Amino acid sequence: MTNRHSLWIPVLVGALAVAWIIPLVGLLLTSLRPPGDITQGWWRLDNFSLTLDAWKSVWTKYPLAAAFWTSFKLTALSTLGTMLLAPAAAYAFQFLRFPGRRLILIVIVNAFVLPQQVVIIPLFTLWRDTGLIDSLWSCVIPFVGMSFAWSVFLVKNFLEDFPKELIEAAKIDGCTPLGTFWYVVLPNALTPIAAVGILQFLWCWNSMLLPMLYLRSEVPLTVLLARVAGSFEPNLDQQSVAAIITMAVPLAIFITFQRYFTAGASSRTGGKE
Amino acid sequence: MSVVLPTFVESAIPVLDAIIKVDIGSFLLMDREEASHRGRNLNMNMSGSQKRPARLSSALFVALATTSTALVTTLGGALAAPKGELVVVNWLGGSELATMQAFEKAFTEKYPEVTIKEIPITWSGDARGAIRTTLMGGEKVDILINTWPSFRQELVENGVLRPLDDVWTAKGWDDKLTKSWRDLGSVDGKVYGIPYNYGDRSGLWYRVDTLKTAGIETPPATWDELLATFPKLKANGVTPYIVPGKFWAHAEVFETLLIRTAGADASRKLGAHEIAWNSDIVKTTLKKWREMLDAGCCADVATMLGTDWDNASDIVLKDAKGGFFLLGMWINNRAEENYGLKPGVDYGLVQFPALGLGHDADSSVDAKEFNAVTSGQNPEAADAFLDFAISAEGSAIFAKAGLASPSKATDSSLYGPVIRASNDVVAKADVVFVLGDRLPAELGDEYRTQLQKFLQDPSDANIDRVTDALEAKAKELY
Amino acid sequence: MAGPTPMGISRDGQEGGRKPSFFGGSEVGAAYVLLLPMLVLFGCAVVYPLVETVVLSFTDMRGMAAGKWVGLKNYGTLFADPNFRAALSTTIVWTLVVTALSVGIGWGLAIVCSLAPRATLVFRVMFFAAYGVAETVSGFIWLGIFRPDTSGLVNAVLAGIGLGDWTTAWLGNVSTALWCLMAAYAWTQVGLPLMTCFASIQTIPKTLFEAAYIDGARSASIMRYIVLPLSMPGLRVAIFINLLNALRAFDMIFVLTGGGPVRSTETIGYFMFRESMLQFKLGYGAAATVVLLVAVVVISIPAIIKRTAEAT
Repeated sequence: MTNRHSLWIPVLVGALAVAWIIPLVGLLLTSLRPPGDITQGWWRLDNFSLTLDAWKSVWTKYPLAAAFWTSFKLTALSTLGTMLLAPAAAYAFQFLRFPGRRLILIVIVNAFVLPQQVVIIPLFTLWRDTGLIDSLWSCVIPFVGMSFAWSVFLVKNFLEDFPKELIEAAKIDGCTPLGTFWYVVLPNALTPIAAVGILQFLWCWNSMLLPMLYLRSEVPLTVLLARVAGSFEPNLDQQSVAAIITMAVPLAIFITFQRYFTAGASSRTGGKE
Repeated sequence: MSVVLPTFVESAIPVLDAIIKVDIGSFLLMDREEASHRGRNLNMNMSGSQKRPARLSSALFVALATTSTALVTTLGGALAAPKGELVVVNWLGGSELATMQAFEKAFTEKYPEVTIKEIPITWSGDARGAIRTTLMGGEKVDILINTWPSFRQELVENGVLRPLDDVWTAKGWDDKLTKSWRDLGSVDGKVYGIPYNYGDRSGLWYRVDTLKTAGIETPPATWDELLATFPKLKANGVTPYIVPGKFWAHAEVFETLLIRTAGADASRKLGAHEIAWNSDIVKTTLKKWREMLDAGCCADVATMLGTDWDNASDIVLKDAKGGFFLLGMWINNRAEENYGLKPGVDYGLVQFPALGLGHDADSSVDAKEFNAVTSGQNPEAADAFLDFAISAEGSAIFAKAGLASPSKATDSSLYGPVIRASNDVVAKADVVFVLGDRLPAELGDEYRTQLQKFLQDPSDANIDRVTDALEAKAKELY
Repeated sequence: MAGPTPMGISRDGQEGGRKPSFFGGSEVGAAYVLLLPMLVLFGCAVVYPLVETVVLSFTDMRGMAAGKWVGLKNYGTLFADPNFRAALSTTIVWTLVVTALSVGIGWGLAIVCSLAPRATLVFRVMFFAAYGVAETVSGFIWLGIFRPDTSGLVNAVLAGIGLGDWTTAWLGNVSTALWCLMAAYAWTQVGLPLMTCFASIQTIPKTLFEAAYIDGARSASIMRYIVLPLSMPGLRVAIFINLLNALRAFDMIFVLTGGGPVRSTETIGYFMFRESMLQFKLGYGAAATVVLLVAVVVISIPAIIKRTAEAT
């Protein structure tokens, strides 16, 4: 965008952001300070010493590398699935006419309110009967399936502002609906697709309920680190390490891919300019 | 925080699968033909809504029938060394997990032909949901770790657990576990659970110097002495008694008072709904608690309801801002390892003071036990595992980790002073399992909420409301 | 396959009036191709469990034992249950406040940040970090902030600035517990509206901004006339997602208050969890889920119909 902006913007936003992040600073400190020092609060400066004990112990006690890989596989598959299928569906709902359009859309969008707990019971029996327990697909399928509720809505919302002239022009030119989707709409919808990708990545990466139940031999990071917490132990330092490790990847994804949001990334091949 | 772990909860699975309903124990003693015939009948008896799993379970029956012959042969050679794979469902976390794994390792060192396969279960909120999921998922499990009598009952009613009476006699466990432990692990007269760890749940923890600086020379032994400590502690800026009312730990106070007032037997009967919740026994107990509140024991209601057990522990033992609190034996480990305190020197445990009503030695306890699961493929390795748990060398592993074992064979010199003292008391007392874990889940939840309501307003009128609500709930369930 | 026409040139003078139909491929056929994989996955992952849940809600299943059919009994009990009714009103308050707070702050931030995207990148990442942390972990962090004594950050700060009288057990006090919970949850949720609104603002071609500045527009008017309208799609998405997430919210409530004190911070989402998972009344919990679903459907149908009418 433009480089000319007043200084007040970063100052204001920065101040709020720093205040916002205080709890996360607390998280970091909890992972770095000996647990005995912080029972009165992690902000206490009286016994300030830093230690890598918690980090070392989590690193050595838990097979993080394998879990990382499993998390990655699971999340990547789920994210790609949504990123490919959601825009396609959104395009269909927005620009094509077909029977049942409204009804299907209502069903899909409302499914978002379905809490995960509702899904796990019946899916468990289904996977058990089809032998998919302990396979990555037992989680990928629900992740992608449930994502449509919000991802279709998101892309469709962005498409509502899509210039209709382009579509009409394509029609006039003899472009089939599929072709219009592929050549006209998709290249200009990078922003919502990136947004969908980031969110889906985040939610799948952080998800624990389904993998906890359906996966046994290879578990993702969240499930592995859930065992860090003992039932009667205050090993908050280790839990904090677990949280930070888990959080690092989605954050990196966000930083990397949010540049797709910047103006100019989605160039319009035929706007008013 | 107590039993909370990250996120969600697994729920139970609709039992659509006849695997659970099959009494595999009886299969082992039948011949193959009878077994598959039985299986076919069971299949046909399933209700119509359970169509889908029928396919699966008939396949499973064939598999079971085939293996049952093999098992019969193996069982016949029960005196042979156990071998093969032993499947253990392990939902523990943190240091308990580490201790359990050390125990498993010792077991495999003793019986090198056995390999242990752990089914790790991650859970949050309540492990029972995840355990149910696993069992109903068709996992063939040999050993289950259990800490809820009500759950044990549910599993027994659904045919999931194998009764251990025969094994008990065969392996001569009477010389390792007393009859009261056998009863604690039984359902309807048959024993299903072998406890490997237990803890006293009726002891008050305190910090030695907190009492001394308040001019209290010895910890209170009677009710009146306890109440007398309150003003002294308050004068020193210390909250005399910490009630961790946030989730579940406040219920312990009620239960211990109940036991002191009317005996461990009353708690037993209440758990079985042989005493009504709105009976005088319960009301008297609540009034006793009110007496404590009126004597200035505790902070304001909001603080009580905002304090969880770990806060309470920190306040009393770490920050020395509290006088007493009532909680289980894991506090001992917490105090030693997390606060770096020395048992007996820096902190101590005193049994809840006497009320002089004749029940002053009674106690509530919690315990972790091993159950043998019917779907297991390796019953004699499972039995050896159970035996090892209460043997001298097996229980030593738990003892060294600061977990008290109920076995008579355990070397008590491995315990620190606090545990040893509490063991002595419990060994002589009439003990009952913690009430909260004996109640059906719905009632347990209501019980904790209603006790919170009591704390908000301990008046007579509210006591009536609270107890009536509990009785109404109990009536629905029993 | 023919590509799109070069911009600006219309072919046969069709402006308004009859819409041309696609030729070389029917719309319905294309719709099926585009939708089929999605519908299959959706049906499998959502519709099937949903149907099972509805069926379950008509039984009285508890724990491991199979339930028997009880028809509408669960629903009757549900509406007579004072806990359910309390949860309903708590849910309304919770959903509205949390969504308004998180979306409002996120939206405001997005608008301001869009004028200085590169300079505010670091800060936007910080807000998103709060969103990216797993909810239960956030819960633990806030638990430490709201601790009853001065080992909690809020109380420590209050005591430090001389307002020691205001210290209380924030999460144990029935009058403050819900507000604290809402603040903590809204804290986590700001990242999403910030991201979606920012993204939708950024769909503007770069040149438009430059042009506006060259024309002498001040930041304030740019914000009002360009940025604000552009943020609308993102705003709609943010409201939708945050609203529905608030309805399902659970982890934070679980960690911070467990629905307490005395079940005063229990939303429908938590109520469903409590009944199904803690009390193992699966049939009953399923009924609560169905009620929630029906309520959401009823509320959202008019909005969806309106949107889909505009679309074509």
